[in-house]
Amino acid sequence: MAGLELKALHKTYGQVPVIKGVDLSVSHGEFVVFVGPSGCGKSTLLRMIAGLEDITSGELWIGDRLCNAVEPRDRGIAMVFQSYALYPHMTVYDNVGFGLKLARTDKAERDRKIRDAARILQMEHLLDRKPSQLSGGQRQRVAIGRAIVRQPEVFLFDEPLSNLDAALRVDMRMELAKLHQDLGSTMIYVTHDQVEAMTLADKIVVLNGGVVQQVGAPIDLYQRPANLFVAGFIGSPKMNFAEVSVQSINGGMVTVASKDISAVTVAADTKSLKVGDRLTLGVRPHHLSMDASGTLVGGVSLVERLGNETNVSLRLPSGATWLVVLDGDHNLRPAQALQLAIDAEKVVLFDAAGQSLLAAM
Amino acid sequence: MARVQSPARSRPSTYPGWFFLPAAIIYGVLFLLPTFASLYFSLTRWTLFNSTFIGLDNFAQFFREPFLIKGLINTVIYAVVSSGLKVVLGLLLAVLLTSQIAARGYLRSVVFFPVLVSTVGVGITFTVLMHPTQGMINEGLAMLGIKGPGWLVDPNLALISVALVDVWKGVGLATVIYIAGIVAIPQDYYEAARIDGSTPWQSFIYVTLPLCRPATVTVITLSFIGGLRTFDLIWAMTRGGPGFASDTIASVIYKQYQAGFYGLSTAGNVVLFVLIGVLVVPLTMLLNRKEGHE
Ligand SMILES: Nc1ncnc2c1ncn2[C@@H]1O[C@H](COP(=O)(O)OP(=O)(O)O)[C@@H](O)[C@H]1O
Ligand SMILES: [Mg+2]
Repeated sequence: MAGLELKALHKTYGQVPVIKGVDLSVSHGEFVVFVGPSGCGKSTLLRMIAGLEDITSGELWIGDRLCNAVEPRDRGIAMVFQSYALYPHMTVYDNVGFGLKLARTDKAERDRKIRDAARILQMEHLLDRKPSQLSGGQRQRVAIGRAIVRQPEVFLFDEPLSNLDAALRVDMRMELAKLHQDLGSTMIYVTHDQVEAMTLADKIVVLNGGVVQQVGAPIDLYQRPANLFVAGFIGSPKMNFAEVSVQSINGGMVTVASKDISAVTVAADTKSLKVGDRLTLGVRPHHLSMDASGTLVGGVSLVERLGNETNVSLRLPSGATWLVVLDGDHNLRPAQALQLAIDAEKVVLFDAAGQSLLAAM
Repeated sequence: MARVQSPARSRPSTYPGWFFLPAAIIYGVLFLLPTFASLYFSLTRWTLFNSTFIGLDNFAQFFREPFLIKGLINTVIYAVVSSGLKVVLGLLLAVLLTSQIAARGYLRSVVFFPVLVSTVGVGITFTVLMHPTQGMINEGLAMLGIKGPGWLVDPNLALISVALVDVWKGVGLATVIYIAGIVAIPQDYYEAARIDGSTPWQSFIYVTLPLCRPATVTVITLSFIGGLRTFDLIWAMTRGGPGFASDTIASVIYKQYQAGFYGLSTAGNVVLFVLIGVLVVPLTMLLNRKEGHE
């Protein structure tokens, strides 16, 4: 049984801080996804867990062991690299069995484990091939196979799907989810793709600039983002933002307006608010609908008709562009004026510091 | 219009066929012409100004040379010893010089420096250093209480001594080739191996060694051919001596040339050319055999 506990982890390269104090606990069997923009330190954090990077300060606990100074092989982890890192001169069989060979595992035992892993990943027919004779998806399988034979407590994945084409990525994503169900091990998965994060994770850790922005279940992050960064990063297409000012406060409800939005009344944490405060309103593209009495008016600038839904780029009077996703098919013409209602129950307000003002649940 | 590309690949060439003419002319005049001329002259009795055709007599005479067999064996010994040591030392130095050691850049230049020095200069210097009684090497050994051997005057040692100097001079090039090979190996392989529990020694055996195989092939081929053709260092250090103890084919050929037997020495060159081909072609085929799978 191995969960993980990260306590105030720091990493600096020379003078440059890259990981700036990460606290996180991962329970056994959880699928945790680190997500964030490129360069935010996801890989560095994962590699610190793997033991490939030294920990500058803080504590890393795997299971009930302090692992700061433990060799990678003794941490009970296995890692799948973005490049797969399959040895080109070895067959798939030897690649998968490499770690067992180094550990001097008995030959029959080794053979059994390699074939077990191959069976789980449905790649028995590939065992005699060299990596150069495999497709991208098959290489990916072999790389996962190499991790499985180690029977690790914790699997680490660094952007494992980013070298695959879109269709294959969806397939492999589902297989990974299934693998997690079957094996029941703890998995930590790094990606910059928030869709991967949303679909795979039990728990998402959003990182930016080496700092954890929010930790939570995918749907919580989507519905209740802690700050502007998470709100903008999670969800596709991206959330729309508008500068608004507070018109009136009534108990737990606040009414805001801007040049583009005549008025919208939102449930929020109003304790520190007063009339005239400048806030940011976040509205997801899916939470707008055509309504003749709506509070938002704009001109259509671009239409994408997908059949089941229609994506509209809307040019607002202030000059801002919002994205709207309308249910069903709408034959809209460019420059056409569109009046929309905002689903006030699903919008989020952010204060001047970018922290969300969600009402307590 | 002339079609320069092979029929198997019918993709039209990017450049017109006549683009290769300048290179072809230079290659023809400076390489092909002398090669075929020497093939012809090897079949003549040749005294610079006139030549008479004598068929294979030169070859017959060349193989009757009393010390030719000795020269042939010496050549192969020299080539095997010098290229073998260059591979082993070059690889070790390259591993050392790609690791996190202090003054890495400086040490790389130090290792490469002998490659830049003139061979004859190196030969003369080492002849002095290897002097049996007054040379610095033996004086140094004497200080440690060891009686140094007669490096260049001992008939059993002279050839090996020259080969060692050849290694000293040439190992820098082997090292540079290996460094290029090693730094091209992605770091991921080492990290994956480390997570699998690989010790540094195991990583060297299972990752570095197989993945720098192309560098090994290059180093072996280059230094083996260089060893077979060796002449300047031998000539500068021993002139094939003592006696004929360190004669190689090239020095035998040179002695015949000095004696005015131009046709004969040209025949010797043809023999050397064939010898190199006979040894190196199968060697490279063997070395490259497994690489098709890459
Ligand atoms: N070896 C290193 N030396 C110095 N800086 C590094 C090193 N590795 C990564 N960094 C820096 O650390 C930051 C985080 O890198 P990384 O963890 O790879 O980001 P991500 O995986 O989120 O894209 C980047 O700004 C990168 O430039
Ligand atoms: Mg990364």
